[in-house]
Amino acid sequence: MTEDADETQVRRLKAAVHYTVGRFCQKIGEEHRREFSRQAVAAIAETTFRQCDIFAKDLEAFARHGKRTKVSVEDVKLTARRSAALSNYIQNRSEELALQHNDLKKTTGKKRRNTEEDTRE
Amino acid sequence: CAVGFDCVVYKSETVSKLLSSFFKEDKTKLSADAVVLMTEMLKVFVTEAAVRSQKQAESEDCNQVEIEHFEKILPQLVCDSVGSALLLF
Repeated sequence: MTEDADETQVRRLKAAVHYTVGRFCQKIGEEHRREFSRQAVAAIAETTFRQCDIFAKDLEAFARHGKRTKVSVEDVKLTARRSAALSNYIQNRSEELALQHNDLKKTTGKKRRNTEEDTRE
Repeated sequence: CAVGFDCVVYKSETVSKLLSSFFKEDKTKLSADAVVLMTEMLKVFVTEAAVRSQKQAESEDCNQVEIEHFEKILPQLVCDSVGSALLLF
């Protein structure tokens, strides 16, 4: 029973990745007046899905090495470390996120804490 | 945004479920910010794959990007994103 449920879940996730990859390819294709064949889209989707497996196992290992069960932003930075460009990009995005959080704390600190408590209840 | 495809995005819920499904232990969780950054990572990966395939098709004067074009750029893509190429081993 549970295996069936897992399989359906995996199939759904694969379909979601396939759909988004298709949209990306369409967008990039339009810009260069070139279409992506269905096979090409499927191959990129499958590669992305397997790449996720590699990313996830890395993230889990990094979190465990830090004696945590929750994957943090630092773990994502480690996963991106091999490519300088990607690593810079992720670093900038994480700084943006940190800034956003600071702003939220300053302006709606109390409100936010209240809503969090509400959702927990 | 450096990649410039803001209108196409992965849902963060999907990314979260996707990564969680590959974790070996059930108790491993993802922080909200980590999910946001992983969404960006995947966007970069897919864009990189699509742009490189498109360039390959262009260099071969093809109107359509075929699976063969993607196959040609795949090894370098994986090397660039997963790790630097190891020539010695």
